[in-house]
Amino acid sequence: MSREPFVFATAQYDSGDWDSAPMVPANVIDAIARYTSIPVRPQGVTVPLASEVIFGYPLLFLTGHLPVRFTDKEAEVLREYLRRGGMLFVDDHNHDVDGAFNKTVREEIRRVAGALAPLPNSHELYRAYFVFENGPPTTSHEMNGWGDNLVHEQLDAVLFESRIAVLFSTKDYSSEWSYHPDNKRFLSVDNTKFAVNIVVYALTR
Amino acid sequence: MTRLPLGGAPGADGVPNAPVHTRDASVRGADSAAVALVAQLRQRLRRVVYVRAAIIGVATACALAVVLLLAARQWPGSSALSRPVVLLIPIAAGIALALVQSRRAGLVTPLRTALWIEEQTPAGFSLVTLVENTESAEHDFATGDARRLDPRARERLAVAFLDAVGGSARVEAQVDVAARALSRDRLRDPAAFGAIAMALLTWLILVPLTPAGIAGDSTRSGMPPDHTGTSAAVAPIGAWTVRVEPPAYSRLPMQQLGNADEVHALAGSRVIVLGAGAPVAGSVRVLGDASSAVLSAGGGAAAVDLGLSPPTSRAVVSVTADGWRAPLTVAPLPTELRLSRGGATRLLLVDGYRDSIPRVALRLPERDSVLRSATGRLALQATIHDDLGLASGSFELIVSSGEGERFTARTVRIATTRYTGARDVMLRGVLDLDSMQLGPGDIVHLRAVARDANPARDRESGVSETRSLRVARPAEYDSVAVEPAPPPEVDKSLLSQRMLLMLTEKLEQRRPRLARDVLQSESRNLARDQARLRLAVGDAVFQRLSGESSAEHAHTVGDGHDHGVESVGGKLAMPGGVSATGMLEEGDDSPVIGINTPLLEAYNAMWDAGRALELSDTKGAIPHMRVALAAIERARAASRLYLRGMPPVVILDLDKIRLAGKDTGATNVRSMRAAVLPRSKVREARLLAAASMARTDAPAARDSVAVLRVESLGDAPGFASALVEVIERLRAGGDATEAFVRARRVLGGMSRANDAAWSRVGPP
Repeated sequence: MSREPFVFATAQYDSGDWDSAPMVPANVIDAIARYTSIPVRPQGVTVPLASEVIFGYPLLFLTGHLPVRFTDKEAEVLREYLRRGGMLFVDDHNHDVDGAFNKTVREEIRRVAGALAPLPNSHELYRAYFVFENGPPTTSHEMNGWGDNLVHEQLDAVLFESRIAVLFSTKDYSSEWSYHPDNKRFLSVDNTKFAVNIVVYALTR
Repeated sequence: MTRLPLGGAPGADGVPNAPVHTRDASVRGADSAAVALVAQLRQRLRRVVYVRAAIIGVATACALAVVLLLAARQWPGSSALSRPVVLLIPIAAGIALALVQSRRAGLVTPLRTALWIEEQTPAGFSLVTLVENTESAEHDFATGDARRLDPRARERLAVAFLDAVGGSARVEAQVDVAARALSRDRLRDPAAFGAIAMALLTWLILVPLTPAGIAGDSTRSGMPPDHTGTSAAVAPIGAWTVRVEPPAYSRLPMQQLGNADEVHALAGSRVIVLGAGAPVAGSVRVLGDASSAVLSAGGGAAAVDLGLSPPTSRAVVSVTADGWRAPLTVAPLPTELRLSRGGATRLLLVDGYRDSIPRVALRLPERDSVLRSATGRLALQATIHDDLGLASGSFELIVSSGEGERFTARTVRIATTRYTGARDVMLRGVLDLDSMQLGPGDIVHLRAVARDANPARDRESGVSETRSLRVARPAEYDSVAVEPAPPPEVDKSLLSQRMLLMLTEKLEQRRPRLARDVLQSESRNLARDQARLRLAVGDAVFQRLSGESSAEHAHTVGDGHDHGVESVGGKLAMPGGVSATGMLEEGDDSPVIGINTPLLEAYNAMWDAGRALELSDTKGAIPHMRVALAAIERARAASRLYLRGMPPVVILDLDKIRLAGKDTGATNVRSMRAAVLPRSKVREARLLAAASMARTDAPAARDSVAVLRVESLGDAPGFASALVEVIERLRAGGDATEAFVRARRVLGGMSRANDAAWSRVGPP
């Protein structure tokens, strides 16, 4: 029985710098290959948010620094994508709750999927593969006082019938995971393990 | 309490003193007094039990009635909750419980009464003994007719009791106080429970009649007392009048719809249904939704909570001087108001619609742009439409600056305009780029925002699509005017300039051998191909410059049709950019010129080449064709798009990551490695070679031995010293054989003691 491999998809939106974290896909794919037996495509893809091509990918990664304004078409397609069971993982590359990306993308998410609400740190996302007792792992960027100089205790989410449809992070995993996977050997603790939880959650819920 | 007939005269403190009596009289009186005390107290305690049972019965009946009344209001049509049921069940339950409770009066026996008295006033159980030894019949005991003990013994017990308690008057007073306390304790809780239940019951009965002075209105209007609408005497519900009052912010007029069955109304409006006669009962239900609520008969309110804003659907039925009135607050969903009276039911369908948010379209600027420098003023224009009326409109700018990990953003609103109910407006503004103080790399996200007059706190604003204006960084000036576009359709019939050049060169080579007419024919064919290619180049130039598809078309001077290129004698030229040689000069480094200069140059060179080919001057055409080819090459290089750097593409080796490569675990066949010769063997071979050489070339042999000696000094000093003798012999020119043999033995680890044979001792 042949299984379609998981393909990590980065959402390309019309406004802003959607490609600000070019190494994240490779790093996430590396983590999936390293820790799981999930068939995975060795290279990520970039999919326009306004295209129905996104329906073929269970998880979409969206990041950036600049203001995000979805076009009507993007909003329409994304709304349908979430309704059909897709999961959107949004990460604020500014790690700044007062940043332009954070403010605008929250507005857009509310327009498309509803208001974001804090996700309890006891949510099953944090036990989908690895166990994160204290919720989302902190990043070196927030520990070092970048952006808003806050350590964000939890992620936000929009739930569709108890399923996470939109996962929103202000912890800046875009910076934390944006390095060449070959350099992972220099880390004492792999900081991309949480990405495995996100992918496994998106594939199984 | 009834005073007991026996006892002494009251003392100063009001408590009877000890009786003053003679011995015989006191003996006879003490017995009677004790018996009477027990009997009267027993009756008193039994009355407490009966009263408590009655209170519990009444309280239970009231509480049950409250529950049944609430249930009847919740399910008004239920036959199980009819009025007789609601009345009879609580009464029956109250009586039954009171009877059960009253049976506890039988537990109040004379003996228990005496025990209770001695508990209050201890007397050594003399009273208990007195009561215990009476005859068993209760009435006999009460009358004191039956005696089982000897009368004298009874009298002694009674006297002992009275002496112990200080006389009959004192014990009577103490028992009276204790009995009052007991009554309060036993009756307080049931009484409180009963009071609460009765209050609830009264409230439930009276509340429907109290709002809006219904009782008074009813009296004045002669409203029939039956408000349930179920009486056969009440007329069925008939015609009504419907009035729609839109919310004030909408500025819509009030509507009188008469005897309507359907209403199309804005959410938040009040739909008021007015009717005559007795009040009605009914329900409110949102169609397509399980939410519903019931209007109680003759008044009350019902609300359906939709969790929406504006408000939930809500209706209230009230009685007026002329009849009844049922206002309904419209929800943004279809709602059904069902009203009944006299066995008839009517429906009013309310089609509630939402107040749509304003529609905003940004007209200017038309598209996203990249600016070389942020100076000047930019016209802004947006059209706004709202179904009811606008309150305000403005342009919202988010200016983001920075790169890498450092970004800042600020939000600015300009051209804010207030409206008073206009539905279609054109919002205009001017963006002064100088005042924005934009720097290279800054991005302005621009959109128009409008809000209508809906006062809801969470009301959304209408927004347009967003345009972005970016200020280019100096490093990307070569790409600022390039708009990515798919390549144009390639005309397959066109010969490339390189091919035309090659054909012309071949024709030039064949020219001496060709007849003139053949030469002319082939040269003109090349000229036609050259002309077609030139037109294609011209199209490219004009598409980039002006968007027009053809380079050669008719127009007149001053017709306002300016595409930046002039036709001069068949060639194209940019005003002011033509050199004296007819070639375009380099130097203007604007992006457009930088790209199109080579194409214009190629175009003009092609024109020259084509003219020469028309004249069968192939030799004269070739230089122009080479110029055209070189210009096209330059244009192609200039047209390359140098956009932002692409991120490195990482393709992972999943097998390597998963440690699942192609290695099968089996190694290659290994071959034996040649053993390395021991150093002594090598030295022995070199020593033997030197020995062989010594016969023919003694100096060479001496040099070899000398080198071998030096090399051996470090690890084989014995061998090195043995070689010294060899060298001296060779230098002297004598026979060195003996010295060689000795050196070889030393090298082989052979040693000989004095006057002993050689023996091997190990490596040197």
